[in-house]
Amino acid sequence: MSFPVKRTSRRLFTAFVLFALLDGIIWYVISISSDSSFLELYFLNIGQGDSELIRFPGGVDLLIDGGPPNGKVLEELSRILPAGDTYLDLVMMSHPQLDHFGGLIDVLKKYDVGLFLGSGRAGETAAYDDLVRVLEERNVNYLALQEGDVILRGDDAISILSPNKRNLASKELNDTSVVAMLAEEDFRALYTGDIGFKIEDELARSYDLRADVLKVPHHGSKYSSGTKFLEAIQPQIAVAEVGKNTYGHPTREALGRLEDAGAAVFRTDHDGTVLVEVDQGKFSVFRSTR
Amino acid sequence: MPLYDKAFWFISFFLVGVLFASSTSFSDTVFIAGLVAIAIGAAFFVFGKKWLALLSIGIFLGSGYYVFYDVRTRDIAIPFDEKTTVTGLITKVSTGLEKQSLVIKLNDPLRGRIRVTAPRYPEWNYGDVVTVEGTIRRPDESFAERLAKDGIFGTTIFADIKLVRSGEGSLLKSKLLSIKHFTESAFRRALPPEKAAFLSGLTLGETAEFTKEFRDKLSVTGTSHLVALSGYNVNVIAESIMAALGLWFSRRKAFWFGTTAVALFVVMTGAEASVVRAAIMAFLVLLAEETARAYSFRNAIVVAAVAMVLVNPRILRWDIGFQLSFAAVLGLIYLRPAIITWFNVSKKPGFFHWRENLITTTSAQLAVLPILLANFGSFSPISIVPNVLILAFVPITMFLGFSIAALAVISSYLALAVGLVANLFLSYELGVINFFSMLNLKWEIGSFGIALSILYYAILISGILYINRRTAKTNVISG
Repeated sequence: MSFPVKRTSRRLFTAFVLFALLDGIIWYVISISSDSSFLELYFLNIGQGDSELIRFPGGVDLLIDGGPPNGKVLEELSRILPAGDTYLDLVMMSHPQLDHFGGLIDVLKKYDVGLFLGSGRAGETAAYDDLVRVLEERNVNYLALQEGDVILRGDDAISILSPNKRNLASKELNDTSVVAMLAEEDFRALYTGDIGFKIEDELARSYDLRADVLKVPHHGSKYSSGTKFLEAIQPQIAVAEVGKNTYGHPTREALGRLEDAGAAVFRTDHDGTVLVEVDQGKFSVFRSTR
Repeated sequence: MPLYDKAFWFISFFLVGVLFASSTSFSDTVFIAGLVAIAIGAAFFVFGKKWLALLSIGIFLGSGYYVFYDVRTRDIAIPFDEKTTVTGLITKVSTGLEKQSLVIKLNDPLRGRIRVTAPRYPEWNYGDVVTVEGTIRRPDESFAERLAKDGIFGTTIFADIKLVRSGEGSLLKSKLLSIKHFTESAFRRALPPEKAAFLSGLTLGETAEFTKEFRDKLSVTGTSHLVALSGYNVNVIAESIMAALGLWFSRRKAFWFGTTAVALFVVMTGAEASVVRAAIMAFLVLLAEETARAYSFRNAIVVAAVAMVLVNPRILRWDIGFQLSFAAVLGLIYLRPAIITWFNVSKKPGFFHWRENLITTTSAQLAVLPILLANFGSFSPISIVPNVLILAFVPITMFLGFSIAALAVISSYLALAVGLVANLFLSYELGVINFFSMLNLKWEIGSFGIALSILYYAILISGILYINRRTAKTNVISG
């Protein structure tokens, strides 16, 4: 008659082991997700397209663009974010072109997203309708940003420098890109989407563009990264996000101008994902390959 | 000759006939098959096997059936090699990382199915009616037969696709597919992409999201079969459920639970033809273990096979999944006991069932070897090692996978917690695959034809017969 007792205790033991295991895993996740006190800027290696992740001290995340729809952005995010972290506070789309928003559809399906930011300009392709549909399905609000808006987080501020109303209506979709300056006390980084000479010159006239880190506009197109614009920024680090492409990105012309401006140029097709880690104005650059 | 023997031989000859007709390209296949049948029949007659001589007419009938089916399905009306706009119903979608592959059944007055390669977005669904503007080409010879197996006779890329209306097609099928999609998205949310894709492969046989590098790794390590939905995977699910329930219920009840699990699995994967076939094979293995009567089992296999072949005779020659399931099942039923007898293997399963897995893997691998060689052109001599290391953990991984899907219905956070546990097992399995793929031990084989396959199986079958005869003799002497 002792058999049932034995069996019950064995089951209790199994249940105990399972709970202990689960508990251990949860504490493990909590322990590894203790967030860094640095500001981390990632330029993700996602092929031909743009995708940047900003991790603020304390673990608040802003993802700017998701690259083309090739699954790479999810791979990169799963390497950077702690296991079990499925929340992105903010996701921003610079402008509605597939090599910038395609990967965001996958991101929105997988991650819980606090708020979706963009310029408000709608895309013209059927794929863009899929983005809108998944925003609705996942119940994520879309907030349209324009020149003059500022996002504050602790000691950090993200100022939106472009587009203004006129440029938002531009026929050239690249000119509608959201341009954002991330600033803390002794450090600045400029995110430029796919803007070309026209918007660059407008910005150079209206703003103090000095920045330590520049996201090279339009993957290093020869119609971007103009001399005046670069003189205004004086970047120390410039990151071009490129993959295999038929446009010749990054072009010799743009790379030459960036070097003339004194910037150390990194490109994601050679350097892999590039990380700039900022600690009280000082920063270090890491790359995932070489 | 008893009736069940007559049935067995007749069906076997019929299958040989189908295989003959699908492997040859004579203009008058049926006539030649008739001559072959007469020659074989005459040979049996000379050796006094009158019944076999009569039944060999099955070869003639089998090839006749294949030719009839072939002619009927090739009756298509597709405008090839010109810029055209066609309308049709999407009957299948497989979504990869960068693109989607759609199977479209053309509307009247056109007839036939085409495969359309489309960008990853916008997403298309089963049951969408679309217009496709582009140029339809005949598929390249190298994969024309494989596409023909699914009734596809044309392909197009970079076409302009527009939605006409959605929600057509079978309601049941779209409900089943939504279950599958739910499972896949639960995996994606709970796990890193590579692991989610591997788990989808293990549990659903869905490999569209694999990267090329990962496919190569699986091929180098001889573990591709883990994600090729075959009777083996389905069997693993059923066996582990039966083993778990065996603690509480009688063997017979556990058997029915196992069978129910197989049925649910079919539902979960969207009940595609390949899954149904795998499930039938898995059910047969369960049945064999339950009844332990080799003769009735032998008939069950050929009846199941012929039923599937009657539905689509092309699978015998062109569906790798069917061939792998079929050969692996035969290996488990006939080769496994022979190996156990020959090497006098202990009945104990061993630490983490290593001994059981080793024998099972070896039997299945030996049985499917020519199929792998003929289709993939390579073979890994060390594949047994990663297979044994991984197989021990496949049932628990699959179980955790289904738990993730089931819990995701209630809460994605619960699914995430189980995902963390599954993550550990998947890390181990992918670690094994990565490690052995770095060793890069692979025998490349240029071409492995049907003659070599026949020779290989002849040797294998003779070996089994020899061992069985010797065992029978030993039993008589010791008895």
